[in-house]
Amino acid sequence: MPASGSPPFNHLAGVARGDAGAMDACIDAHGGLVWSIVLKRVRDRTAAEDLTQEIFTEIWKTSGRYDPAIASESGFIAMIARRRAIDWTRKQQRLPEMESLTEKADFPAPGEDPGSAMDRDSLWKALETLPDETRSLFTLHFEQGLTHSEIAESTGLPLGSVKTRLRRGLLEARALLGRLGGRLNPNLEARS
Amino acid sequence: MNFEERWSRFEELDAGRALGDLDAAELAEWQELSRDFGSDVGLDHLAGEMEALLTMEKPQALPPELAAGLKQQFSPTPVVEEKRGKVMLGPWLGWAVAACLLGLLMVNNLLPDKAPPAEQLLSALLAAAPDAKRLSFSPAGDAYAATTGEVVWSDSRQEGYMTLSKIPANDPTKRQYQLWIVDPARDEIPVDGGVFNIPAGPGPVVVPIDAKLAVHNPAAFVITLEQPGGVVKSKQEVVVALAKF
Repeated sequence: MPASGSPPFNHLAGVARGDAGAMDACIDAHGGLVWSIVLKRVRDRTAAEDLTQEIFTEIWKTSGRYDPAIASESGFIAMIARRRAIDWTRKQQRLPEMESLTEKADFPAPGEDPGSAMDRDSLWKALETLPDETRSLFTLHFEQGLTHSEIAESTGLPLGSVKTRLRRGLLEARALLGRLGGRLNPNLEARS
Repeated sequence: MNFEERWSRFEELDAGRALGDLDAAELAEWQELSRDFGSDVGLDHLAGEMEALLTMEKPQALPPELAAGLKQQFSPTPVVEEKRGKVMLGPWLGWAVAACLLGLLMVNNLLPDKAPPAEQLLSALLAAAPDAKRLSFSPAGDAYAATTGEVVWSDSRQEGYMTLSKIPANDPTKRQYQLWIVDPARDEIPVDGGVFNIPAGPGPVVVPIDAKLAVHNPAAFVITLEQPGGVVKSKQEVVVALAKF
Protein backbone atom coordinates (compact mmCIF):
# COMPACT_ATOMS: atom_id res chain seq x y z
CA MET A 1 0.00 0.00 0.00
CA PRO A 2 1.54 3.31 -1.00
CA ALA A 3 2.28 5.94 1.59
CA SER A 4 -0.16 8.74 2.16
CA GLY A 5 -0.12 12.09 3.85
CA SER A 6 0.25 14.74 1.17
CA PRO A 7 -2.46 17.37 1.03
CA PRO A 8 -5.33 16.57 -1.32
CA PHE A 9 -5.66 18.15 -4.73
CA ASN A 10 -8.41 20.67 -5.18
CA HIS A 11 -8.26 21.58 -8.83
CA LEU A 12 -11.99 21.24 -9.38
CA ALA A 13 -12.82 24.06 -6.97
CA GLY A 14 -10.57 26.32 -9.04
CA VAL A 15 -12.18 25.14 -12.27
CA ALA A 16 -15.64 25.83 -10.84
CA ARG A 17 -14.55 29.33 -9.81
CA GLY A 18 -13.10 29.93 -13.27
CA ASP A 19 -9.56 30.43 -11.93
CA ALA A 20 -6.98 31.02 -14.64
CA GLY A 21 -4.91 27.92 -15.22
CA ALA A 22 -7.11 25.67 -13.08
CA MET A 23 -8.21 23.57 -16.02
CA ASP A 24 -4.61 23.22 -17.23
CA ALA A 25 -3.60 22.04 -13.76
CA CYS A 26 -6.52 19.63 -13.71
CA ILE A 27 -5.48 18.21 -17.10
CA ASP A 28 -1.87 17.86 -15.88
CA ALA A 29 -2.98 16.15 -12.66
CA HIS A 30 -5.67 13.85 -14.03
CA GLY A 31 -4.98 13.53 -17.76
CA GLY A 32 -3.11 10.27 -17.28
CA LEU A 33 -5.91 8.80 -15.18
CA VAL A 34 -8.59 9.72 -17.72
CA TRP A 35 -6.48 8.55 -20.66
CA SER A 36 -5.69 5.23 -18.94
CA ILE A 37 -9.34 4.56 -18.14
CA VAL A 38 -10.50 5.42 -21.64
CA LEU A 39 -7.77 3.64 -23.58
CA LYS A 40 -8.03 0.36 -21.70
CA ARG A 41 -11.78 0.19 -22.36
CA VAL A 42 -12.09 1.81 -25.80
CA ARG A 43 -8.89 0.42 -27.37
CA ASP A 44 -9.17 2.69 -30.40
CA ARG A 45 -6.81 5.62 -30.24
CA THR A 46 -8.87 8.04 -32.32
CA ALA A 47 -12.07 7.24 -30.44
CA ALA A 48 -10.15 7.45 -27.15
CA GLU A 49 -8.91 10.93 -28.02
CA ASP A 50 -12.45 12.09 -28.86
CA LEU A 51 -13.80 10.58 -25.68
CA THR A 52 -11.07 12.14 -23.54
CA GLN A 53 -12.05 15.51 -24.95
CA GLU A 54 -15.71 14.88 -24.09
CA ILE A 55 -14.79 13.75 -20.59
CA PHE A 56 -12.80 16.89 -19.82
CA THR A 57 -15.70 18.97 -21.15
CA GLU A 58 -18.00 17.14 -18.74
CA ILE A 59 -15.50 17.63 -15.91
CA TRP A 60 -15.48 21.35 -16.68
CA LYS A 61 -19.27 21.49 -16.69
CA THR A 62 -19.75 19.46 -13.49
CA SER A 63 -16.81 20.78 -11.46
CA GLY A 64 -19.19 22.89 -9.36
CA ARG A 65 -20.91 19.74 -8.13
CA TYR A 66 -17.73 18.17 -6.77
CA ASP A 67 -17.74 17.90 -2.99
CA PRO A 68 -14.44 16.84 -1.37
CA ALA A 69 -16.38 15.61 1.66
CA ILE A 70 -18.02 12.94 -0.50
CA ALA A 71 -15.39 11.80 -2.97
CA SER A 72 -11.74 12.18 -3.78
CA GLU A 73 -11.01 14.33 -6.79
CA SER A 74 -9.48 11.41 -8.68
CA GLY A 75 -12.44 9.21 -7.75
CA PHE A 76 -14.91 11.83 -8.99
CA ILE A 77 -13.02 12.18 -12.26
CA ALA A 78 -12.60 8.41 -12.64
CA MET A 79 -16.35 8.02 -12.10
CA ILE A 80 -17.06 10.37 -15.02
CA ALA A 81 -14.40 8.78 -17.24
CA ARG A 82 -15.47 5.18 -16.64
CA ARG A 83 -19.13 6.03 -17.16
CA ARG A 84 -18.36 7.65 -20.52
CA ALA A 85 -16.06 4.79 -21.56
CA ILE A 86 -18.64 2.18 -20.54
CA ASP A 87 -21.38 4.04 -22.44
CA TRP A 88 -19.17 4.07 -25.53
CA THR A 89 -18.49 0.33 -25.21
CA ARG A 90 -22.18 -0.45 -24.69
CA LYS A 91 -23.02 1.52 -27.79
CA GLN A 92 -20.56 -0.52 -29.84
CA GLN A 93 -22.18 -3.68 -28.46
CA ARG A 94 -25.66 -2.30 -29.32
CA LEU A 95 -26.75 -2.46 -25.69
CA PRO A 96 -29.35 0.12 -24.57
CA GLU A 97 -28.13 3.40 -23.17
CA MET A 98 -28.18 3.48 -19.38
CA GLU A 99 -29.42 6.38 -17.32
CA SER A 100 -26.49 8.44 -16.15
CA LEU A 101 -26.95 9.16 -12.48
CA THR A 102 -23.57 10.85 -12.42
CA GLU A 103 -24.96 13.73 -14.47
CA LYS A 104 -27.70 14.41 -11.96
CA ALA A 105 -27.36 17.12 -9.37
CA ASP A 106 -28.69 15.13 -6.41
CA PHE A 107 -25.41 13.86 -5.03
CA PRO A 108 -25.66 12.41 -1.55
CA ALA A 109 -24.80 14.60 1.37
CA PRO A 110 -21.58 13.80 3.26
CA GLY A 111 -21.98 10.80 5.49
CA GLU A 112 -25.24 9.66 3.92
CA ASP A 113 -23.62 7.01 1.84
CA PRO A 114 -21.37 4.51 3.60
CA GLY A 115 -19.93 3.40 0.26
CA SER A 116 -18.51 6.74 -0.69
CA ALA A 117 -17.31 8.31 2.54
CA MET A 118 -14.04 6.37 2.68
CA ASP A 119 -10.36 7.22 2.61
CA ARG A 120 -7.80 5.46 0.48
CA ASP A 121 -6.44 3.34 3.30
CA SER A 122 -9.94 2.06 3.98
CA LEU A 123 -10.38 1.26 0.31
CA TRP A 124 -7.17 -0.76 0.33
CA LYS A 125 -8.23 -2.50 3.53
CA ALA A 126 -11.59 -3.35 2.00
CA LEU A 127 -9.91 -4.67 -1.14
CA GLU A 128 -7.56 -6.81 0.91
CA THR A 129 -10.43 -8.15 2.98
CA LEU A 130 -12.44 -9.26 -0.02
CA PRO A 131 -12.19 -12.93 -1.03
CA ASP A 132 -9.27 -13.68 -3.37
CA GLU A 133 -11.57 -14.45 -6.27
CA THR A 134 -13.47 -11.14 -5.93
CA ARG A 135 -10.21 -9.20 -5.64
CA SER A 136 -8.96 -10.90 -8.76
CA LEU A 137 -12.18 -10.04 -10.63
CA PHE A 138 -11.87 -6.41 -9.46
CA THR A 139 -8.33 -6.26 -10.81
CA LEU A 140 -9.49 -7.54 -14.20
CA HIS A 141 -12.47 -5.15 -14.33
CA PHE A 142 -11.17 -1.96 -12.72
CA GLU A 143 -7.44 -2.14 -13.35
CA GLN A 144 -7.27 -3.90 -16.71
CA GLY A 145 -10.66 -2.75 -18.04
CA LEU A 146 -11.59 -6.19 -19.37
CA THR A 147 -15.18 -6.81 -20.47
CA HIS A 148 -17.17 -9.47 -18.63
CA SER A 149 -16.77 -11.80 -21.61
CA GLU A 150 -13.01 -11.31 -21.57
CA ILE A 151 -12.94 -11.95 -17.83
CA ALA A 152 -14.94 -15.16 -18.36
CA GLU A 153 -12.46 -16.26 -21.02
CA SER A 154 -9.49 -15.33 -18.87
CA THR A 155 -10.72 -17.01 -15.68
CA GLY A 156 -12.71 -19.91 -17.12
CA LEU A 157 -15.76 -18.80 -15.12
CA PRO A 158 -19.18 -18.81 -16.82
CA LEU A 159 -20.20 -15.33 -17.98
CA GLY A 160 -23.19 -15.26 -15.62
CA SER A 161 -20.95 -16.03 -12.67
CA VAL A 162 -18.58 -13.19 -13.58
CA LYS A 163 -21.51 -10.77 -13.70
CA THR A 164 -23.02 -11.95 -10.42
CA ARG A 165 -19.73 -12.10 -8.52
CA LEU A 166 -18.63 -8.65 -9.64
CA ARG A 167 -21.97 -7.16 -8.60
CA ARG A 168 -21.95 -8.89 -5.24
CA GLY A 169 -18.30 -7.96 -4.80
CA LEU A 170 -19.12 -4.29 -5.25
CA LEU A 171 -21.94 -4.52 -2.70
CA GLU A 172 -19.65 -6.41 -0.33
CA ALA A 173 -16.95 -3.75 -0.73
CA ARG A 174 -19.50 -1.07 0.13
CA ALA A 175 -20.57 -2.97 3.21
CA LEU A 176 -16.93 -3.44 4.28
CA LEU A 177 -16.25 0.26 3.82
CA GLY A 178 -19.30 1.07 5.90
CA ARG A 179 -17.93 -1.10 8.70
CA LEU A 180 -14.44 0.39 8.41
CA GLY A 181 -16.00 3.84 8.74
CA GLY A 182 -13.22 5.93 7.20
CA ARG A 183 -13.72 9.14 5.34
CA LEU A 184 -13.27 9.35 1.65
CA ASN A 185 -10.88 12.06 0.95
CA PRO A 186 -8.12 13.49 2.11
CA ASN A 187 -5.38 10.89 1.64
CA LEU A 188 -6.77 9.30 -1.47
CA GLU A 189 -4.98 11.75 -3.73
CA ALA A 190 -1.55 11.40 -2.24
CA ARG A 191 -0.45 8.41 -4.25
CA SER A 192 -0.40 9.85 -7.76
CA MET B 1 -41.42 -11.03 -4.54
CA ASN B 2 -41.77 -9.62 -1.07
CA PHE B 3 -40.21 -6.31 -0.05
CA GLU B 4 -36.86 -7.80 1.03
CA GLU B 5 -36.52 -9.81 -2.15
CA ARG B 6 -37.35 -6.78 -4.25
CA TRP B 7 -34.78 -4.71 -2.34
CA SER B 8 -32.14 -7.40 -2.74
CA ARG B 9 -32.85 -7.62 -6.47
CA PHE B 10 -32.70 -3.84 -6.78
CA GLU B 11 -29.33 -3.77 -5.02
CA GLU B 12 -27.90 -6.37 -7.38
CA LEU B 13 -29.20 -4.55 -10.44
CA ASP B 14 -27.98 -1.21 -9.12
CA ALA B 15 -24.51 -2.71 -8.74
CA GLY B 16 -24.82 -3.95 -12.33
CA ARG B 17 -25.76 -0.44 -13.41
CA ALA B 18 -22.70 1.01 -11.70
CA LEU B 19 -20.54 -1.68 -13.34
CA GLY B 20 -22.20 -1.02 -16.71
CA ASP B 21 -23.31 -4.60 -17.33
CA LEU B 22 -27.13 -4.44 -17.41
CA ASP B 23 -28.78 -6.00 -20.45
CA ALA B 24 -32.03 -4.59 -21.87
CA ALA B 25 -34.33 -6.71 -19.68
CA GLU B 26 -32.34 -5.95 -16.53
CA LEU B 27 -32.29 -2.25 -17.36
CA ALA B 28 -36.10 -2.22 -17.63
CA GLU B 29 -36.33 -4.12 -14.35
CA TRP B 30 -33.95 -1.68 -12.65
CA GLN B 31 -35.98 1.28 -13.94
CA GLU B 32 -39.16 -0.20 -12.51
CA LEU B 33 -37.60 -1.03 -9.13
CA SER B 34 -35.87 2.35 -8.89
CA ARG B 35 -39.32 4.00 -8.87
CA ASP B 36 -39.87 2.35 -5.48
CA PHE B 37 -36.36 2.43 -4.10
CA GLY B 38 -34.97 5.60 -5.65
CA SER B 39 -31.49 5.94 -7.03
CA ASP B 40 -28.27 7.58 -6.00
CA VAL B 41 -24.71 7.70 -7.17
CA GLY B 42 -23.21 5.92 -4.14
CA LEU B 43 -22.16 2.82 -6.07
CA ASP B 44 -20.94 4.97 -8.98
CA HIS B 45 -18.72 6.84 -6.51
CA LEU B 46 -17.40 3.57 -5.12
CA ALA B 47 -16.71 2.18 -8.59
CA GLY B 48 -14.96 5.45 -9.47
CA GLU B 49 -12.79 5.26 -6.36
CA MET B 50 -11.89 1.64 -7.09
CA GLU B 51 -11.06 2.47 -10.70
CA ALA B 52 -8.89 5.44 -9.66
CA LEU B 53 -7.16 3.43 -6.96
CA LEU B 54 -6.27 0.51 -9.21
CA THR B 55 -5.61 2.53 -12.38
CA MET B 56 -3.16 4.83 -10.63
CA GLU B 57 -0.95 1.83 -9.91
CA LYS B 58 0.28 1.98 -13.51
CA PRO B 59 -1.15 5.08 -15.17
CA GLN B 60 -0.42 5.87 -18.81
CA ALA B 61 0.69 9.38 -19.66
CA LEU B 62 -1.72 11.56 -21.58
CA PRO B 63 -0.20 12.03 -25.08
CA PRO B 64 1.44 15.50 -25.15
CA GLU B 65 -0.37 16.58 -28.34
CA LEU B 66 -3.71 15.64 -26.79
CA ALA B 67 -2.85 17.46 -23.56
CA ALA B 68 -1.90 20.55 -25.57
CA GLY B 69 -5.15 20.38 -27.56
CA LEU B 70 -7.21 20.08 -24.40
CA LYS B 71 -5.46 23.02 -22.77
CA GLN B 72 -6.05 25.13 -25.87
CA GLN B 73 -9.71 24.12 -25.86
CA PHE B 74 -10.19 25.36 -22.31
CA SER B 75 -7.87 28.33 -22.59
CA PRO B 76 -9.61 31.70 -22.23
CA THR B 77 -6.70 33.49 -23.95
CA PRO B 78 -7.43 34.62 -27.51
CA VAL B 79 -4.89 33.88 -30.20
CA VAL B 80 -4.04 37.04 -32.15
CA GLU B 81 -2.45 36.27 -35.47
CA GLU B 82 -0.15 38.86 -37.01
CA LYS B 83 0.48 38.78 -40.73
CA ARG B 84 2.54 41.15 -42.85
CA GLY B 85 2.70 43.61 -39.99
CA LYS B 86 -1.05 43.91 -39.66
CA VAL B 87 -3.12 42.56 -36.79
CA MET B 88 -5.85 40.24 -38.07
CA LEU B 89 -8.87 41.98 -36.57
CA GLY B 90 -11.43 39.42 -37.77
CA PRO B 91 -10.36 36.52 -35.56
CA TRP B 92 -9.62 38.87 -32.68
CA LEU B 93 -13.07 40.43 -32.81
CA GLY B 94 -14.62 36.97 -32.92
CA TRP B 95 -12.71 35.94 -29.83
CA ALA B 96 -13.58 39.22 -28.11
CA VAL B 97 -17.28 38.72 -28.80
CA ALA B 98 -16.98 35.12 -27.63
CA ALA B 99 -15.19 36.25 -24.45
CA CYS B 100 -17.94 38.79 -23.76
CA LEU B 101 -20.62 36.18 -24.33
CA LEU B 102 -18.72 33.71 -22.15
CA GLY B 103 -18.51 36.36 -19.45
CA LEU B 104 -22.24 36.92 -19.65
CA LEU B 105 -22.85 33.19 -19.52
CA MET B 106 -20.64 32.84 -16.45
CA VAL B 107 -22.42 35.70 -14.70
CA ASN B 108 -25.81 34.27 -15.60
CA ASN B 109 -24.96 30.79 -14.51
CA LEU B 110 -22.43 31.39 -11.71
CA LEU B 111 -21.11 27.85 -11.86
CA PRO B 112 -20.01 25.94 -14.94
CA ASP B 113 -22.09 22.89 -14.04
CA LYS B 114 -25.17 24.90 -14.88
CA ALA B 115 -24.83 24.52 -18.63
CA PRO B 116 -26.05 27.57 -20.54
CA PRO B 117 -29.17 27.10 -22.65
CA ALA B 118 -28.52 25.74 -26.12
CA GLU B 119 -29.84 28.99 -27.61
CA GLN B 120 -27.03 30.94 -25.92
CA LEU B 121 -24.42 28.42 -26.93
CA LEU B 122 -25.62 28.63 -30.52
CA SER B 123 -25.33 32.43 -30.46
CA ALA B 124 -21.85 32.16 -28.97
CA LEU B 125 -20.79 29.69 -31.65
CA LEU B 126 -22.08 31.90 -34.45
CA ALA B 127 -20.22 34.86 -32.98
CA ALA B 128 -16.95 33.06 -32.42
CA ALA B 129 -16.63 30.53 -35.24
CA PRO B 130 -16.19 32.15 -38.66
CA ASP B 131 -16.17 28.71 -40.28
CA ALA B 132 -19.64 27.82 -38.97
CA LYS B 133 -21.76 26.39 -41.78
CA ARG B 134 -25.53 26.97 -41.90
CA LEU B 135 -27.83 24.61 -43.74
CA SER B 136 -31.61 24.39 -43.94
CA PHE B 137 -33.43 21.17 -43.17
CA SER B 138 -35.97 19.82 -45.66
CA PRO B 139 -38.68 17.35 -44.67
CA ALA B 140 -38.03 13.82 -45.90
CA GLY B 141 -41.58 12.50 -46.07
CA ASP B 142 -45.25 13.40 -45.94
CA ALA B 143 -45.48 12.64 -42.23
CA TYR B 144 -42.96 15.42 -41.56
CA ALA B 145 -44.00 17.80 -44.35
CA ALA B 146 -44.37 20.74 -41.95
CA THR B 147 -40.89 20.27 -40.48
CA THR B 148 -38.51 23.18 -40.88
CA GLY B 149 -35.18 23.93 -39.35
CA GLU B 150 -31.55 24.78 -39.68
CA VAL B 151 -28.26 23.20 -38.68
CA VAL B 152 -25.17 25.17 -37.69
CA TRP B 153 -21.86 23.31 -37.58
CA SER B 154 -18.26 24.40 -36.99
CA ASP B 155 -15.53 22.01 -38.16
CA SER B 156 -12.86 23.85 -36.20
CA ARG B 157 -14.78 23.63 -32.93
CA GLN B 158 -16.48 20.32 -33.59
CA GLU B 159 -19.60 21.95 -32.26
CA GLY B 160 -23.02 22.47 -33.73
CA TYR B 161 -26.72 22.98 -33.07
CA MET B 162 -30.01 22.28 -34.81
CA THR B 163 -32.96 24.64 -34.62
CA LEU B 164 -36.06 22.59 -35.37
CA SER B 165 -39.73 23.52 -35.77
CA LYS B 166 -42.89 21.49 -36.19
CA ILE B 167 -41.33 18.10 -35.59
CA PRO B 168 -43.85 15.90 -33.75
CA ALA B 169 -43.09 15.41 -30.05
CA ASN B 170 -41.79 11.91 -29.31
CA ASP B 171 -42.35 9.54 -26.39
CA PRO B 172 -38.76 8.79 -25.26
CA THR B 173 -39.79 5.39 -23.91
CA LYS B 174 -40.93 4.35 -27.40
CA ARG B 175 -38.96 6.26 -30.03
CA GLN B 176 -36.20 8.86 -30.07
CA TYR B 177 -34.84 11.10 -32.76
CA GLN B 178 -31.22 10.61 -33.82
CA LEU B 179 -28.96 12.80 -35.94
CA TRP B 180 -26.52 11.38 -38.48
CA ILE B 181 -23.67 13.34 -40.02
CA VAL B 182 -22.57 12.24 -43.47
CA ASP B 183 -18.87 12.87 -43.98
CA PRO B 184 -17.72 10.90 -47.04
CA ALA B 185 -14.13 12.09 -46.55
CA ARG B 186 -14.08 10.26 -43.25
CA ASP B 187 -16.17 7.15 -43.82
CA GLU B 188 -19.09 5.95 -45.86
CA ILE B 189 -20.92 5.18 -42.61
CA PRO B 190 -22.56 8.31 -41.16
CA VAL B 191 -21.31 9.55 -37.81
CA ASP B 192 -23.76 9.36 -34.91
CA GLY B 193 -24.68 12.96 -34.05
CA GLY B 194 -26.60 12.11 -30.89
CA VAL B 195 -30.04 11.05 -29.72
CA PHE B 196 -32.56 13.71 -28.78
CA ASN B 197 -36.18 14.31 -27.88
CA ILE B 198 -38.67 16.88 -29.09
CA PRO B 199 -41.02 18.07 -26.34
CA ALA B 200 -44.64 18.90 -26.97
CA GLY B 201 -45.39 22.55 -27.52
CA PRO B 202 -45.08 25.29 -30.05
CA GLY B 203 -41.95 27.10 -31.04
CA PRO B 204 -38.55 26.07 -32.31
CA VAL B 205 -36.30 23.79 -30.28
CA VAL B 206 -32.51 24.17 -30.26
CA VAL B 207 -30.74 20.81 -30.01
CA PRO B 208 -26.98 20.52 -29.44
CA ILE B 209 -25.20 18.13 -31.79
CA ASP B 210 -23.32 15.39 -29.95
CA ALA B 211 -21.02 14.00 -32.65
CA LYS B 212 -19.46 10.79 -31.38
CA LEU B 213 -16.51 11.06 -33.76
CA ALA B 214 -14.63 13.98 -35.27
CA VAL B 215 -16.31 15.38 -38.39
CA HIS B 216 -14.22 17.53 -40.72
CA ASN B 217 -16.13 17.90 -43.96
CA PRO B 218 -19.81 17.13 -43.50
CA ALA B 219 -21.86 16.73 -46.68
CA ALA B 220 -25.26 16.22 -45.08
CA PHE B 221 -27.13 16.00 -41.78
CA VAL B 222 -29.96 13.48 -41.51
CA ILE B 223 -32.53 13.08 -38.73
CA THR B 224 -34.08 9.64 -38.25
CA LEU B 225 -36.52 8.18 -35.75
CA GLU B 226 -35.10 5.20 -33.89
CA GLN B 227 -35.62 2.95 -30.90
CA PRO B 228 -35.03 4.45 -27.42
CA GLY B 229 -31.31 5.07 -26.88
CA GLY B 230 -30.65 5.22 -30.61
CA VAL B 231 -28.83 2.74 -32.79
CA VAL B 232 -25.23 2.21 -33.85
CA LYS B 233 -26.17 2.02 -37.53
CA SER B 234 -29.51 3.33 -38.80
CA LYS B 235 -31.64 1.35 -41.23
CA GLN B 236 -33.20 4.73 -42.08
CA GLU B 237 -36.68 3.24 -41.85
CA VAL B 238 -38.06 6.60 -40.70
CA VAL B 239 -36.18 9.58 -42.09
CA VAL B 240 -37.52 12.83 -40.71
CA ALA B 241 -35.50 15.57 -42.35
CA LEU B 242 -32.22 16.20 -44.06
CA ALA B 243 -29.91 19.10 -44.76
CA LYS B 244 -27.24 18.81 -47.41
CA PHE B 245 -24.83 20.89 -49.44
